Parts: sequence; structure tokens; C-alpha cells
Amino acid sequence: MSAANPFPLSSSRPRKHAPKWADLTFALLTGLGAALVMVLLAAFIVVLFIGAKATVELFGFRFLTNDVWISASTNPHIPGNIYGIVPFAVGTLLTSAIALLLAIPLSLGAAIFLTQQAPVRLRGPVGQLIELLAAIPSIIYGFWGLVVLAPIMRYEIEPALQSWLYWTGWFNGPTTGVDVLTASVILAVMVIPTITAISRDAIAAVPIHQKEAALSLGATDWEVTRNAVIPYARGGVFAGIILGLGRALGETMAVTLTIGNKNAIPTSLFSQGQTIASLLANQFAERSGPLELSALMEAGLILLLITLAINVGGRMILSRLQRGQGVGRE
Amino acid sequence: MSSGSPSSGSAPSSPSGPSTPPTDQIARRKGSGHTGLYVAIAVIVVLVVVLGGAYATGVLKFASKSTTSCAAPATSVVPANIATSTPAAAAPAVQPAGVTGQIISGAGSTLVNPLMLEWSLEYTNNTVEYSSVGSGAGIADITDKTQDFGASDAPMTPTQQAAITPKNSIDTIPESAGAAVPIYNLPTIAAPLKFTGQILAAIYLGDITNWNNTALQLVNPGVVLPNACIIVVHRSDGSGTTFVFTSFLSKENATWNNTIGYATSVNWPVGIGSKGNSGVTTTVKSTVDAIGYVDINYALTNAVAFGAVQNPKGNFVLANLANIASAIDDSNLHFPAANASWYNVSMLNAPGAEDYPLATLTYVFVYQNESAAGYMSTTVAGALVDFLHWIVTVGQSYSAELYYVPLPAGVVSSDQATINSIVL
Repeated sequence: MSAANPFPLSSSRPRKHAPKWADLTFALLTGLGAALVMVLLAAFIVVLFIGAKATVELFGFRFLTNDVWISASTNPHIPGNIYGIVPFAVGTLLTSAIALLLAIPLSLGAAIFLTQQAPVRLRGPVGQLIELLAAIPSIIYGFWGLVVLAPIMRYEIEPALQSWLYWTGWFNGPTTGVDVLTASVILAVMVIPTITAISRDAIAAVPIHQKEAALSLGATDWEVTRNAVIPYARGGVFAGIILGLGRALGETMAVTLTIGNKNAIPTSLFSQGQTIASLLANQFAERSGPLELSALMEAGLILLLITLAINVGGRMILSRLQRGQGVGRE
Repeated sequence: MSSGSPSSGSAPSSPSGPSTPPTDQIARRKGSGHTGLYVAIAVIVVLVVVLGGAYATGVLKFASKSTTSCAAPATSVVPANIATSTPAAAAPAVQPAGVTGQIISGAGSTLVNPLMLEWSLEYTNNTVEYSSVGSGAGIADITDKTQDFGASDAPMTPTQQAAITPKNSIDTIPESAGAAVPIYNLPTIAAPLKFTGQILAAIYLGDITNWNNTALQLVNPGVVLPNACIIVVHRSDGSGTTFVFTSFLSKENATWNNTIGYATSVNWPVGIGSKGNSGVTTTVKSTVDAIGYVDINYALTNAVAFGAVQNPKGNFVLANLANIASAIDDSNLHFPAANASWYNVSMLNAPGAEDYPLATLTYVFVYQNESAAGYMSTTVAGALVDFLHWIVTVGQSYSAELYYVPLPAGVVSSDQATINSIVL
């Protein structure tokens, strides 16, 4: 027989099956890894729940409707310790929505170009360049946004937008360059590599006969993409968008440097705002007391719940999209 | 079977039928191929790079189509008002004998951070690790007993002191002094602007929105103020510098006192929030028409223009080490007991004719009885006491070159008495 036996555990005695304890141990060890991860997730949620208890008891549902965040105050004229999540939830959802709005066309276009149009030799390098964007630390994005992008927004882009689109009512106010729009642009840049990478894989997985069938009917490149490729790949593209959204929701450092840190609902795209993640970054180290700490925990819990909801909802939509997809059916 | 028909030397082998001519391959309806596309993309990339480079180097400027009254910046003029003091020669480091080799950790005020860094380099008996996270965080950390000492420009509020366990066990030790100065970014203005407390309060309330306003023009006759929106910058984190600045505004403006008040962190009505003294400096430096407030050492070290503030005698004082020191002397400070409340110790609006009105002491908080506090070993406590002795004596000689005000002799001796009373 051959020298090295690849199944030493089974070879001590002639057996028909592998020893039970070997399989059991393997299952236990891997199960331990999975269990630890789930325990961590549960621990996160439990700690946040316990930490938020004080604010939940004090404010109840008003926390979800209050639109101010005022720390404990030493001035008797000024009420202190009023906390609410509305300005930050609005800021989070607004910046993420605008970031996606800006990122999806660019990412999809890049993914389609990389898989359909680009010459084969270019696909690798260009793809890697785009993925390099994901490797840049977010604090660098924040610094670049503050020092480079903010002046460009302030002097070139925002005045132009204001003169063309003032009638929508979303582009009012003095242009400072450090506002919701700049933060959204930075988020869009950070989210593009994620969506591009996943969409590219999804589009590349479309079977060649789909495209050949469309081409054989005389379709142009655009018609092939639109009718044969994208519908097939829409599940993967959607998954990429959800992942990008997840990154945008939780992004902290880049946002906190470019959004202006104003704890109020933004009235226009040029006003300063705040997101939940950025609020936590700013306030956590020096909260004014145990009530503010509890309010911050509750804000974190709400962010976690929003992220979970989007992930679960995304998964449900994904399964609907992929129904009748013919994935694996060759 | 087919090694390729003569007309196409390396045609891809098609799996269909015998001797397939290339024309039977799936013919796509296309024009001249994709070369045009690649040329177009290459041209776009080159254009973007060239335009971007031209813009970045200032060769190319776009006309800004502004519909607000905020003007585009003119060419920058370096302001010539940076008051520098000749650096004092550092005293030879005669270390008092004491515990060595320990690691002391502290956190808090960003105002004192440059000086703390220098001290941690020059003090070699032990290793000092300081995190510049803001005065608010410094107070929180010493309350939570996560740091050996906390640093803050704001004294503890009664509420914060009530949260200390055991009761009344924190000593407040002033270790340096500085001042909040109003910094701004106006390239067209060379001489320092003059501000009053009322004007600053109105700007930070959002009542004054344009640099070209009557109140500011009245105190700056002959200066051509630009017609531009004021971009207000404040702190987004808990800050002792905010405490000093808002205390001053509360004294000067009744509306501010009644609606916003003073604290390490307030509900700013307008403006952009930046983290730390360094964040405010960066934001103001990179944003034309911005105004902010930082400690004087940040303004001088980073060469940012700052303005003069009117003091109670009516004089517009441009902060420098001398007039901050005279503010400390003239304030005739009566310090309370070290473990009592220092909340009313203030050097704002010092009475002298040439005193700077926004001077502040900056404090270190330590537990009076380290063993009773129960989180520090006796050796580290001994190292901490050694460090404290050093910073109020030898350490003060490093202050001037970093633009901090050395403590007056009376404060030093009161500090020494407090440090000597710390129980290890």
C-alpha cells in the first residue's frame, strides 16, 4: 500500500467507519466557535439593555420622540438631562440614504464595466484599485474630508447646488463645507468599494449562456446588461448594497470630523447634524453623569436594532429576489 | 481537427460543426470595437488628473456662484500679530528624591496637553502617561478611579464633587495657567481684531452672522471687515476651555446667561463642533471666515491669528504671558481648602488695567487619601506625589517656552502644602 495514510485515526484497527469520538470532538470544537460568537452578540445586547434601563424608565417612549439632547446642567435657569434620539436617527438615516444614492450608480457602473466591458488585462488592476479604497482607514477619510473636501464643497459645489436647486428647499442656509452633505459624500466614497466588489462577483457569476442567448437575439451591450445580466444578479447586488448600508450606518470617525456635530435635526443638506455613532464618539468619554451614560447606551441599542432590522429585512428581500433565480440550476 | 482557417490565424476554436468559418460565430452588432471606449475613458482620466492637479496647485480657479453674502477668499496674508515671548532657559533638572520607576497615568484637559507632554519627557524619575481627552473626560475618569490623576481647566461642579466616593476626598491642585483666546481666519486682515464680550456672545448666539456688522466695526474703526458669513466653531466634547469661555460670555451677556449658561459642555445654538483644542484649531485654520476659541498656547504654536478682548477697565488686551500672569496676581485669589469646592475660583475679568479677562488656572485632581480611595498601590501613590512636587517646582520652568504662564510663588507654596498632605 502507499506509504502515508491520510486517515491515521482510522487505521489503528480495521474499521468500517471513522471513530465516533473524532467526529464528535470536531463538531464540539467548531460548535464552540459558533457558540462564542453568539454569546458575544447576546452579551452586547444584554449589556446595552441593562445600561439603558435608567433612561427607559425615566423617558419611556419619549426618548424616541424627543428632539433635543441636553446634558446635565449646573445653571438653574436651564433644564438639563433631557435626551432624545430623533435628531441622531434622522442624521444617521439621512446621511446613509444620500451616501447610497451617490454610491449605487457609481458602484454598479464600475461593477458592470469591470465584468462586461473592460479588457481582460485591465480587470484585475482596476478592481484592485477600487478595493484599495476600502483599505484606507476611516480617520484618514475624515481628515481628508475636513481639509480637502470641505473647502471644495464650500466654494465650488455647494454654491452651485444652491443656485440650481434652491427651489427644493433642501439646499438653503450658509455654506460652510462641514455639513450633512459633505459627510454623506465621504460615506459614499467609503461604501463604493464594498458595493462594487460584491456586485462584481454577483455579475461575474451570471452564466455565460444568459448573455449569449441575449446576444444571439441581437441585443446591444446595454440591452444584454439590462435584460439578461442584472435581473439574474440582482440578489447579489442587493446584498452588496445592504452591506454598504451597514457600513454607512456605523461609520464614526469620518462622520464626526465632517458633519459639524450639532445635536439638532438638520433643516437642510447644508446644515450641521449628528449621527448616532458620532454622538457616541463625542459624548461617551465625558458624559455628564449616570443618566447621560444610560441615554448613550440606549442610543447605541437603537443603532444596533436599526442595523439588525436592516440586515434581517435585507435578507428577507434577498430570498424573494433569488426565488426563481435558477441559481445552481445549470 | 481544424487548426484555424487561413484567414484567422489564431481564431478561438468553436465547438460547433465541422470547419466553422469565423462568420458563423455569434456575431455581435457592434461598431468599430471597444477601442473608442478605452480612448474616451483614458482621456477622461487624464483630464481629471490634470484639472485636479491644476486646481490643487492654484493654477486654475473656478468662479464661485454664491447666492449668499459669503465671499470667496482673497489671497492669504500672513497675520503679523503673533506675540512671542523669549523662551526661558530650562532650569537644570534637580529631581527631588523619591519613588522611581513607576508608571503614572492621567487624562483630561487638552489645554495642558502640550505642557504635560513636555513634562512627561523631562520628568525621568517615573513614566507619566497622559491622554488628552478633554476636561470633562478627565473629571469623569478620576471620579471612576480609572486614572491616577485627572486634569481639567474647569473645577468640579458641586454635582460632580458629590459623586466622588469617599466624600470630599478630591484635592484640586492648580498646576499651570492659560487663557482662552478668540481665534479667527480672515486672510485680508493683518492687525488683530478687537472683540468685546457682548460681540462674542452675539456671534455665538447667532445674532451676529456677518463679519461686516456694525458692532464689530465700531470697535475696529479703520479696519475693512469682509462681507462674509461668520462660520462659528466650538467644542464638540467636554472642555475646560469651553467652561472658561462660556463663563465669560455668561458674565457679559444676560441672554447667554439665561439661555445657555456655562459648563464644560453646553447646547450651542449655532456652529460647527470640533473635538479638542487641536480640532478647533484645525477647523479654523482650514476654513476661511471662521471664528473659534482655544487656549493661547495652541494659537501661538499654530500661528493662528487671535483677537484682543476688552477687559472691565475698557482696554482691549491682546493675550500674552505677561498680562495673563498679572491677571492671576490681580485676581487676589483666595483658594478654598484643597478638598473643598473650587467652583467659585475664577480669574475672569481681573481688575487690573492691563489684565487679560479670560485667564484660567488649570487643575489636577488627585485623591487626598490614596489608600482610602483604594485603587492605587502605595508605590504608585508615592510616585504620583513625587511627580506633583516636580511639576509645581521644576516643571514650571518649561512653561514659558510652550506659552503657558508659570504659577506665581503664592500658588506654588499653597500647592506644596496640599501635596504634602496627601496620604499615600
